[in-house]
Amino acid sequence: MKITVHGDRCTGHGRCYGLAPGFLAYDDEGFVTIRDQIVDVPAGQTAASREAARTCPEQAIELLDD
Amino acid sequence: MANKAGDPVEGVERPARVPNGCPVVHLDVSPTLEVGSYWHKADELRETGQIFFNTMAQGYWMFTRYDEVREIYQHPELFSSESITPWDPEPAYRFVPTQIDPPEHSKYRQLLSRWFAPAAVNEASPAARAICQRLVAQVAPRGGCDFVAEFAMRFPTEVFLTVIGLPASDADLFVPWVEDFFRGFGGDVAQQEAMGQALAAMRQYWVDALETRRGEPVRREGDLASHLLHATLDGEPLDEAVILDILTVLVLAGLDTTRGELGYLFRHLATHPDDRHRLVAEPELIPSAVEETLRLYTIIFGDGRKVARDVEFHGCPLRKGDMVYGLVAGANRDPRVYDRADEFVLGRTANNHLGFAAGPHRCLGAHLARRVMQIAVEEWLKVIPDFRVATDAPLVERGGGSMMTLLALPLAWEATS
Repeated sequence: MKITVHGDRCTGHGRCYGLAPGFLAYDDEGFVTIRDQIVDVPAGQTAASREAARTCPEQAIELLDD
Repeated sequence: MANKAGDPVEGVERPARVPNGCPVVHLDVSPTLEVGSYWHKADELRETGQIFFNTMAQGYWMFTRYDEVREIYQHPELFSSESITPWDPEPAYRFVPTQIDPPEHSKYRQLLSRWFAPAAVNEASPAARAICQRLVAQVAPRGGCDFVAEFAMRFPTEVFLTVIGLPASDADLFVPWVEDFFRGFGGDVAQQEAMGQALAAMRQYWVDALETRRGEPVRREGDLASHLLHATLDGEPLDEAVILDILTVLVLAGLDTTRGELGYLFRHLATHPDDRHRLVAEPELIPSAVEETLRLYTIIFGDGRKVARDVEFHGCPLRKGDMVYGLVAGANRDPRVYDRADEFVLGRTANNHLGFAAGPHRCLGAHLARRVMQIAVEEWLKVIPDFRVATDAPLVERGGGSMMTLLALPLAWEATS
C-alpha cells in the first residue's frame, strides 16, 4: 500500500502523525513531511495509516492499494 | 432559548428570498444558560433541518450538519473571514490572521506557525508540566476548589504567556481582560462597553510591550512581540497596527479556549467515574479523551463567514455580503458521521471533529491546546484521582455566540495532606 497527503488540502492538523508516530513525521511548521509525495506504507503501519486517513478533518490523505 | 426550530416566529417575516424548505428561526445565541443547552439546541436544529435562516440582527443562514460546515471552512474563496460573527458583519475589531483571507493569510500564518508547532510545544512541555504540578499542589490539600477560576483560567494562561516569552505572572492582568472581552463578543449588547474597555486595555499592554522592544537591534530570543517587530512580510517590516492585531487575537484565542475545554473535560471526569478510573489505569487513552472532549463538548457553537459572491449553496440563494453560520456543535455531534455521536467514547476511532475548525484557518494553537489538556489530566489524576462536582445547583455556561465555557465548576475530593 502507498500513501499520499494532498498538499492543497492539508492544513497541518497533525492528526496523522499523532496516530502513526512511528511512520509519519512533522516539519518545523507542523505539517506532515510527506505532502505531495507518494510513499510506501511500511510493514506494521497499515492499520495506523488507514486510521490516519479516516481521522483527517480535511480528507487530505489518500491510500493507494498496490 | 428563544423558540423551537420550525415554530412560526411571531412578528418575524420570512425574508422573500429564503426558500420555503428553509425554516426561519429567531435564535439568540448570547444568553448564559444551563450547561449543555447549546449542544442540545444544535442537535435539535441539525435533526430538524440542514439549513435555517436566523432572523437575529440583520439575519443569517445557519448550516447544521458536518459536510456543509466543513465545506464552508474549506472554501474561503466563497466564504470570507472578513467577519466571523454572523450577527456583526462589520466588526469594530480586526483579528490578524483570523480575519485575513487567502492568499495573504498564509504569509501571516508562516510568521506564527513555528511558535505553536509540535516542536515548540515539545520544548515548552517541561515548563507547562511544572506549572500544572504547582497549581495542582496548591489546591490538592484543600479538598476542593472552583476548577474554572483556580485551575482552568490559570494553567493555559501561564503556559501561553511562557510560550510567547512574557512573565507568567501577567496572567493576573490578562484573565480579567479576556473574561470581559468575551462577555460582549457573543452579541450581548449590555456588555459591549466592557468588551471595548478590555480590548483597549489589552492593546495598551501591547503598545507598552512593543515600546520597550522597539529599537533593540537584536531580536529577543523566545519573545513573540520582539520577533514580530523584526519580521518582514513581502520584504517589508510589519505595520505596527498589524502587530497589535496579531498579538491581541493570539491572547484572546489562546487564553479563553483551552480554559473552556478544560472545564468540560473535568466536568466529564467528575461525573463519569468509570472513564476517570480507566484513564488512571490506562493513561495512554488520555489523548483520546482530549479529542472526544473537543468533539462532543465543543466550545464552538458555530463559526461565521461572509459570502464573497452570489452563489447557490445547497439550494440557498446566497448573496454577496450575506452572513453564514456553520454550526460546529451540530457537525461534531452529527450521527451521519459518528456512531454513538452523543456519547463520550474513550478510544473512538476516526474522530475527525471540527473542534479546531478546518481549512486555512485551522486553529493555530491546536497542538499547544491538546498538550495542555493532556498534561492537565495526567498531573491532576496523579494527585487527585477521585473527585466530584460539589454542588447540586445546575452549572451554567456562557452563551454560544462567544465560545461556550463553564462559568464555575466547584469540585470536591478527599483532601491530601
